[in-house]
Amino acid sequence: MSDQTKNETQAENNVSSRRDFLKIAGAMVGAAALTQIASVGIKKAQASHGEEGEHRWGMVIDINLCIGCNYCTYACQAVNNLDDDMLYNVVTTETTENGDEYFLSRPCMHCDDPPCVHVCPVAATYIRDDGIVTMDYDLCIGCRYCEVACPYDVRVFNWREHSGTSPRVPAFGTPEVPPRPRGVMEKCTFCQHRIDIGVERGLVPGVDDSATPACVVACPTGARIFGDLKDAESPASVSLQANKTPIRLREELSTSPKVYYLPPTGQTNAATEEG
Amino acid sequence: MESSIQPLTMRVGKREMDVFPFWIALLVVGLLFGTVGAYQVFAYGLQVTGLSNQIPWGLWITIDLSAIALGGSAFLFGVIVFLLRSKRFETVGKLAVLLGFLGYSSAGLILLFDLGQPLRFWHPVVFWQPHSLLWEVTMCVVLYLTVLMAEVLPIVLEHPLFTTHPILDRFPILRKTSTSLNWLAHRLHGFAPALAIIGLTLSLLHQASLGATYSVLSGRGLWFNQSAPVQFVLSAMGGGTSLLFLLSVIVFRIMRPGLVKDDVLYDVARIAGGIILVCIYIRVWDWAVSNYYSFDREVALQTEFLNKVSPYSASFWVGQVVFALIPGTILLLAKRVRNFRVLMVTAALPIFCTVLVRWNYNFSGLLAWITYDPYTPSVVLYSYVPTWQEWSVASFVISYWLLGFSLAARFLPFKSADHHA
Repeated sequence: MSDQTKNETQAENNVSSRRDFLKIAGAMVGAAALTQIASVGIKKAQASHGEEGEHRWGMVIDINLCIGCNYCTYACQAVNNLDDDMLYNVVTTETTENGDEYFLSRPCMHCDDPPCVHVCPVAATYIRDDGIVTMDYDLCIGCRYCEVACPYDVRVFNWREHSGTSPRVPAFGTPEVPPRPRGVMEKCTFCQHRIDIGVERGLVPGVDDSATPACVVACPTGARIFGDLKDAESPASVSLQANKTPIRLREELSTSPKVYYLPPTGQTNAATEEG
Repeated sequence: MESSIQPLTMRVGKREMDVFPFWIALLVVGLLFGTVGAYQVFAYGLQVTGLSNQIPWGLWITIDLSAIALGGSAFLFGVIVFLLRSKRFETVGKLAVLLGFLGYSSAGLILLFDLGQPLRFWHPVVFWQPHSLLWEVTMCVVLYLTVLMAEVLPIVLEHPLFTTHPILDRFPILRKTSTSLNWLAHRLHGFAPALAIIGLTLSLLHQASLGATYSVLSGRGLWFNQSAPVQFVLSAMGGGTSLLFLLSVIVFRIMRPGLVKDDVLYDVARIAGGIILVCIYIRVWDWAVSNYYSFDREVALQTEFLNKVSPYSASFWVGQVVFALIPGTILLLAKRVRNFRVLMVTAALPIFCTVLVRWNYNFSGLLAWITYDPYTPSVVLYSYVPTWQEWSVASFVISYWLLGFSLAARFLPFKSADHHA
């Protein structure tokens, strides 16, 4: 580059520097405004931890009473209109530290601080005032980030079109909710449709069967207990007060599940306290 | 003004043949193969993939993350050229912008296939959930792709087809269109410094958030660490600049001899090398820290498991550490090496490493999953094998990227003379 062109470029730079400065300043002001708008949204998204409502639904599962019959899973599939390969509730066989086998049945934990709700890019999954973590199927884009984020592996994706009726119908119940489209995420809702209608009619979820989650009603041994954790008289609260050492799964992750387990006899919660 | 473009040739028997038509034919085959898989995915949904409820993110997400990472040179060189006013990198910067545009548009394209509800791709833009990292990434990518379009338009319009081609005089409508497009390009070019700042802000935000997308997954193991955002930004800058160096040598040194000085290319290699070394320095510290502080019993179990299984252990120590450390050093010493063959081979390794970092971040915590037993938890190893439909869609997107790059390399002038000079 010759000296002359160098000088010209420099002069050009000086002339345009004020204009550039204004442009840069403008861009920064714009960015600041955007941050403001976004922060309003963040406050909105953080507002609910599901503790504001009149009720706070929770479940207690007594591991000692569970016989691994899978009725909870089947009733859930029938009532929630699920295909045979989709499970909101999973029952597995696990072992205690003493080597004794027991059944661990696992619905959605309905966390107070749910990782799935924090990560959803469109707020399709949200926590209701009564603590139920649920889905808006019309908003869901099917990105599956909630599934990656859930530490309990309870979310299921609709990989294919709904095939019709579950083989669990009518033995374990009849469908009470419409099928969801292919490509959205689904999850256990604590049978919110039963709770909502029940409360409206003056029934008590956890006491009256038609207002209680299907899995709780179907359990032949009464291992599942449901109720309002804000109400000291509800079956769930009474059971929690009677038992000194209820545990919650992966408590160290601070998700605060609303599903409690009464540990198998001879096994305290010492193991989880260590973690 | 007119710089002659040397086609890449291949010797067949005694004849020198232009490889371009064969290369393009190959890419068209790739696109056609991709169309078959793309149709199946849209018609039958994600059941045609190898994904499952346990491993919901697979090959496509890795390609998406890698495409964004390898476009990382665009914001870096936007800053170098338009804010630091380094004229010598201007021509290389144009290629960087083009790579950025191709990378981000590829990422958007492959994400469209990965959504369960592709027609709702616009939802994050309308239904805000600003607490979600994925929302932030989506918004940044949408905005940044717009910025990249504004930056890439003037570069594409440099082609004589839009200024001096005789066809423009035969059809007045074409002349008019070309004039107004050039006017727009000129205006956009005037905004270049502002665009560079917006590009820098958006890039730092979403490259970091892509790392944070994984670091917030507190229930998962080894590679899901707190320094992931820094790792993602630095490895995108390092890997993206390595790719820029590799392709610059082809586009400028081989195809347009004399357009860019060798010293400039060496400097691109040195920038890449420096960033790669900083990145791996932080990575090794992070490895030490996250192994020292394993508070969570389940995460510790998972980490131990992944360290034991050799593919994961090797992919970290060989792929992420050695493939960054040695090439980083060689690229930093580019001016002493002074051998473009050696440098090109060396620059390929950090590109591979950048992709591998994404692959590891995505899969390690998904594959090794723990049981829920509160008393005696153990690790389960899930498996994932991409189906041919997934490879087919991958081939579609990669062919699109290569086609865009090949056409640009073959036809765009990348003139250094512009409105300023």
